[in-house]
Amino acid sequence: MTGSALLKARGVSRRYGWGSALVRAVDEIDLEVPAGQTLAIMGPSGCGKSTLLHLLGGLQRPTDGEIWLAEHRIDTMSERALARLRRHHIGFVFQSFHLMDELTAVENVELAALLAGQSPRRARQRALHLLDRVGLADRARHLPSALSGGQRQRVAIARALSNEPLVVLADEPTGNLDSAATLEVLRLFEELRTAGQTLVVVTHDARIAAVADRVISMRDGSFADDSRLTGTTTSGTGTVYGGWR
Amino acid sequence: MAGRLLLVCRLMVRDLRRRRTETVLLLLAISAATGTLTLGLALNNALAQPYERTRAATAGPDVVAMPGATGPEALAALAPLATAPGVTAHSGPYPMAYLMLTASGTTVPAVVQGRDNSPAALDRPAVTAGTWVHPGGIVIEPTFANALSVHIGDTVDINGHPLRVVGTAVTAARAVYPRADWRIDAGSPLTESAGLVWVDSSQIGALAGTRPLSYTLNLRYADPRASTSFTHKREGGIEYTSWTGIADADGKLVKQARLALLVGSWLLTALAVASVANIVAGRVVDQRRRVGLLKAVGAGPAMIAAVHLAEYLVIGLAAAGTGLTAGWLAAPALTSPGAGLLGSTGTHPPALRTVLAATVLALAIAAAATLAPVLRAVTTDTVHALADAATPPRRRGWRVWLSRRMPTALLIGVRINARRPRRARLVMVNTLITTTGLAALLMGLAQDPRVKLGESKLANPQSTRTLEAMFLVIVVLCVLALINAIVSTWTAVLDARHPLAVARTLGATPAQVTAGMAVAQLLPAIPGVALGVPAGIGLYLVASPGDQQYAPASWMFAVALAVLLAVAALTAIPALAATRRPVADALQSTST
Repeated sequence: MTGSALLKARGVSRRYGWGSALVRAVDEIDLEVPAGQTLAIMGPSGCGKSTLLHLLGGLQRPTDGEIWLAEHRIDTMSERALARLRRHHIGFVFQSFHLMDELTAVENVELAALLAGQSPRRARQRALHLLDRVGLADRARHLPSALSGGQRQRVAIARALSNEPLVVLADEPTGNLDSAATLEVLRLFEELRTAGQTLVVVTHDARIAAVADRVISMRDGSFADDSRLTGTTTSGTGTVYGGWR
Repeated sequence: MAGRLLLVCRLMVRDLRRRRTETVLLLLAISAATGTLTLGLALNNALAQPYERTRAATAGPDVVAMPGATGPEALAALAPLATAPGVTAHSGPYPMAYLMLTASGTTVPAVVQGRDNSPAALDRPAVTAGTWVHPGGIVIEPTFANALSVHIGDTVDINGHPLRVVGTAVTAARAVYPRADWRIDAGSPLTESAGLVWVDSSQIGALAGTRPLSYTLNLRYADPRASTSFTHKREGGIEYTSWTGIADADGKLVKQARLALLVGSWLLTALAVASVANIVAGRVVDQRRRVGLLKAVGAGPAMIAAVHLAEYLVIGLAAAGTGLTAGWLAAPALTSPGAGLLGSTGTHPPALRTVLAATVLALAIAAAATLAPVLRAVTTDTVHALADAATPPRRRGWRVWLSRRMPTALLIGVRINARRPRRARLVMVNTLITTTGLAALLMGLAQDPRVKLGESKLANPQSTRTLEAMFLVIVVLCVLALINAIVSTWTAVLDARHPLAVARTLGATPAQVTAGMAVAQLLPAIPGVALGVPAGIGLYLVASPGDQQYAPASWMFAVALAVLLAVAALTAIPALAATRRPVADALQSTST
């Protein structure tokens, strides 16, 4: 790896099936995401954008190609090494939140830190701080079932930031939210972008794309368009530490 | 009405065909309980039937009289009994001697009876192999012969006199080995374990040497109450033993085995209920959705209950039939009276009482385990039922708090375990019952399986039979426990897919997730094992009163460890298999 790209994919493909049933979910994609950039990946359902996000986060392995995150080639890593990488360097936000129903908001947020081996006290302090930053300090001890969709997604975002990741990967973060909740999430992403957090967001929502530095359109597993909307906030050293840290 | 009935039958058949594995598992679980109950009830017959058959085949007496005196005095004491009022037939008096028999270097006490070839009105021992007595030959009661490992053609020694074994025979006039009641002095009320042999009456005097001969007289009475009103009594210096007393002594051969099977059937019933509950719990989400669909198309609560109950009742009835057949076919092997008596149980169709008991048990297990979930599903809102949502996991705040301080695998395990307390209780019940059975078996194995005969020890058929019964129960118990454990761990792994996928997304390694799942199953298994060991020891001591040896602590420790390792391994395999699936797939296939 050279240059300032934090996340890099080279010739990445993901295929399913054989022969006439072969599906090219992701087809020989090249991508470089500099540190601090907010990248929105858009496209119709089934175009492969979620698969690409999963490949970038090490949740799935590519059929071909290389994926690098901060000097680490992740497509050849063992499951154990991948887990460690996710634990320390990647934060995930999902459309369906994926919160633990039986854990309170603060317990959900601190879970990532506890899995990373932080002390319970430090993990709790960090979780409360993050919940405060996403505007949910007063909901810290509520179960997910007692939170609205937007609040749940904000808890998920706080959890994704728990271990100060190099990159946050968000898969349709507003897909299950109403307009008001979508605006809450948009505000958070805007703050993250301003703070220099590297963000890759897969979305249908043009409003999210509007706050991105760069928008890539996908069709049939390939990039159809790559537009840089604003200047990136790349620090030049890989990671930007802003107000969110 | 006919249309509804058709619909109920159609839905039932389709669902049973769709869930073949679950149906087979349910069938196995309930069949195991009914099969063991059938065996236990069959052993009831084993207490009486073979003796009665032997008594009929050998013209067994109602009462056997034996004076305390010996020699001519004994003959004089017995003479008036043969012609006493109410006596309709007699045989004897036959000479008896309490001597020492040596076979293959082992010397044991033997009750030696002198007989000849003259026809007897009562007690005509049935030769089961070889020939009847003749000078120079000896006939041995078969159970005794088996314990001594002597065969026809072998030579044994009585008081220094070699005798050739010419046959084996059974009688209803004296209890089988080791309850032939040897006495150190003729007329002594104190008896020792021994076996019965017959020699030619012309030889018994020479065999006895200086020891005085006793005599025994067999009697039959016109009034049956004359022999059934007592088992053993002594009057006027004469000892009387009724046929019921001898039957009781013979019945002791299988009494402990019967108890082991009955207790085993209770344990198996409890395990079968846990098993059925486990399987039903695994399909509760699907069942709820099915109820939602039925409600959506206009089915009422009665119709929905009928559809589900019919399915389980059909499985229950099939399991009753399977269990009855299996128990009935297995009965002869376990309840055979041994070589000492004639005939066996299980050769006739099972009694109506047995059929009813097995059917009621099977239906009760099916109904008990399925009624609650069915009723809950019936009372669920249609929209919620159609939403296909599982019951939300429980929150155990203190466990979440406690687990924060634990290593990752423990943290995952404690939290997964806390989500489903009912499933955890099922795991505990499963390990408790299994360990109870195994600990009881170890107690049985720790006992000396031999009986003391004089200065020697020989195999005790009663211990052998009891251990056989316990082994049978344990094998069925372990099979059922294994099915339970597999079902339980698979459903637990399936249920935990979402939290485990989230944990992996957040950085938990496959090894930590696998260890966490094993911990989740081990946590309830540990108290089950800890309670099961003393429960098994207690159960054995209650069922086997008297001086009992305790099994070594190392045995108990080993069985506890083995159960826990089995639980951990059974959980780790599906958990490990689940971690081979990409996290993204696991996340997409689970609910929020």
